[in-house]
Amino acid sequence: MGRKKLLALLLSTAVVCGSLAGCGAKGTQKQEGSVAGSTESKAGESSKTDSAEVGKKVTIAVWNEPSKDEALNMYLQAGKATGIDVEVTVIPESDYSSKLNQMVSTGNDSVDIYVIWENDIANFAQVGGIIPLDDYLAKSTIKTDEFIDAVAKLSEGLGGTYGLPWCAATELLYYNQDMFDAAGIAYPTNDWSYADYKAAAEKLTKKAADGTTEVYGSTLPNTQTWWAGIGGAGDQVFDPAKGQMVIGDGAVSFVSDVAQMVKNGTMPEPSSDTADLFAAGKAAMSWQGSWNIGTYGGGLAFNWDIASIPTDKLKYNTLHTGFYSINAKSKNQDSAFKVIEYLMGEEGQAINSKASGNPSAIKSIAEKGAWKVESVTTIENWDAITDSLKAGVFGYTCLPSGVTNNAISEFNSAVLGQKTPEDAVKNASQYAKETIGY
Amino acid sequence: MAIKAARHRSGRRPDGKRKGSGRKERSFVPLSERIVNAMKNEKRKPINKKKLTNHLTAYAFCAPWFIGFICFTLFPIVFMFAVSLTNRKLNGISNFVGFANYVNMVQSPTFWNSIKVTLFFTVVMMVVTTIWAVILAMLLNYKQKLNGIFQFCYFLPSVIPTVALAYTFRTIFGKEAGLLNAIISQLTAKNVMVNWLYDKRTIYLAVFFITLFTYNTGQMMLIFRSGLNDVPRELYEACDIDGASPFRKFFGITLPMISPIVLFNAVMGCISALNGSFALLYPLTGESGDPNGMTQVLSLLIYKEAFSNMKVGYACALSVVLFLIACGFGIGIFAVSKKLVYYEN
Repeated sequence: MGRKKLLALLLSTAVVCGSLAGCGAKGTQKQEGSVAGSTESKAGESSKTDSAEVGKKVTIAVWNEPSKDEALNMYLQAGKATGIDVEVTVIPESDYSSKLNQMVSTGNDSVDIYVIWENDIANFAQVGGIIPLDDYLAKSTIKTDEFIDAVAKLSEGLGGTYGLPWCAATELLYYNQDMFDAAGIAYPTNDWSYADYKAAAEKLTKKAADGTTEVYGSTLPNTQTWWAGIGGAGDQVFDPAKGQMVIGDGAVSFVSDVAQMVKNGTMPEPSSDTADLFAAGKAAMSWQGSWNIGTYGGGLAFNWDIASIPTDKLKYNTLHTGFYSINAKSKNQDSAFKVIEYLMGEEGQAINSKASGNPSAIKSIAEKGAWKVESVTTIENWDAITDSLKAGVFGYTCLPSGVTNNAISEFNSAVLGQKTPEDAVKNASQYAKETIGY
Repeated sequence: MAIKAARHRSGRRPDGKRKGSGRKERSFVPLSERIVNAMKNEKRKPINKKKLTNHLTAYAFCAPWFIGFICFTLFPIVFMFAVSLTNRKLNGISNFVGFANYVNMVQSPTFWNSIKVTLFFTVVMMVVTTIWAVILAMLLNYKQKLNGIFQFCYFLPSVIPTVALAYTFRTIFGKEAGLLNAIISQLTAKNVMVNWLYDKRTIYLAVFFITLFTYNTGQMMLIFRSGLNDVPRELYEACDIDGASPFRKFFGITLPMISPIVLFNAVMGCISALNGSFALLYPLTGESGDPNGMTQVLSLLIYKEAFSNMKVGYACALSVVLFLIACGFGIGIFAVSKKLVYYEN
């Protein structure tokens, strides 16, 4: 009996101590987080405490796996060039933004460099989750005055430079040259109009005897390129002054067009299929991000090329990037900036462009054309990328993903005939108003 | 008839009390009072010290569970209520806003659609999975060769993680490259292109079909099977003598005898449908509950608001509603069960 009591007492004490210790640790983290959230100077102070010992290792959070090819792995090369051990933490893209928000909220210091998306940078700066880089940049060789205009505009109003763009990805029209040749249609150009695109899609569609489509003229817009179509049809998409989604007649027009093309069998219906119909040779054209150049590489079984997204009422393109920024809780801020300096330098940017096909956001580096992916031999119209960059704006990427995903779900319902395009756009706008500015 | 015999054996008196329960009833004394009394009596009666020590030992053994309950259940629930009164964002910004989240919620058509879908999904999923589990358990209850293998095969899909199961079925139910359409096309010699997960006529059919393979259904099946084994054989023999049909046997004997298990599984099925539907629907139809919000249950909406829109305060307010719905279902099922569930003792 005595032994049992002793055992019970020991176990209970262990559980209570463990629970209290756990709660205590959490409490400390919260406190630190609130301090970081309230002051910027705190971040500056901690950067001074950076010592040679702790600066030897820097952790960077990204959403995409680094290249398996060592020469194209910019983080590995950054480690070699700076002598700092660069550790990469890959967070799945679907959870990336929310994970980073949680890290900032809890004052997590396990990551030194965040690559932050467009819609998060202002919030992170506001709560003191990331530090201003101005002091570092004053002594750095990074050519901040050569950033493309859209990047400079996005940083306005933040009260400093909190992030540096790792690239400037755009959206493009990919097309299957073999199918165009077979149909006797001239290849798309960067000046193609939206009407040219629709007419070509119609001609390129192949149907079976029973009326079902065997080869589509074009794929359905994906989560990114819906917005290129809506912006091209005349809508502002994103109002940076109010931070609101602005869609209306342009969206109705584009959704109606897509619905008609789906009805005609020129485009596939929205479905649960995950296959890439363009890569599978089941669609002649596709609107996709420039990063797919690197993904496709020389791996497609047909000749293909790229062109600018066709122009409807105006030339519109959504820019995509991520911003290298330093965690305010990082104990290795000096080392983190050294790594960023390499990644934003000529060599780091060139490696990134070669691996992904995305140009640098620094004009003078982008002009050197490292983004012309060497493994792709069929692309001749590389000008499509520079042309797209000129029309590029930070649009839907500055909105919460829940708002844009909800809008696309509404558009898909309209395309499937479950509601009118007008209702879909109205619902999407209403949901955006409910959500943004919360 | 047989059930009346069973009731007779159970020894229940017409006034509802059991035979032989003539013990002198003890008056109820609250636990705290008993401890205080024990402490008072400690000096007078040294023997009570042992009793008190025994009580404290018992509480010490219970303490780990209580600590766990307080830290990981009670505190999160209370915290959720508190956060629902703020405009907390995922990055930690938070201000007290009173009942603004609840006001916004009741004004949102998305919320009301989600409530409708949640109630529908919960009721239908509970009914479908319970019926299917009973059918499987009955099939397995027949004495035949290789019964163990059948049970293994029936239960196997249930041990696959729900997310993996959902992704697999997403591929199977694809329109252009879906396995199901390919099979139907082969069988009918026609090019069948049903958009299973995006067509409003087929979405529920597809989703509820998938629920038959979830862990919850497999677990229910095993519980029903053990319940069926406990139904006395003599009741069926009595039915055979009376010439009852299998249908009559099921509704006259089997169902009443396993009704407590049906109640248990119904409650578990409800909670599972309310809370666990996220793991099934998120990979299958996305956070917006395609098509046209037809599968946007509350758990999906909570995730979307908290992690895609970063509105943690609002998501907590939605969670409070989900909590109340779960309570409502639990209370409702127990209320109905008083009339429908048969307890032998």
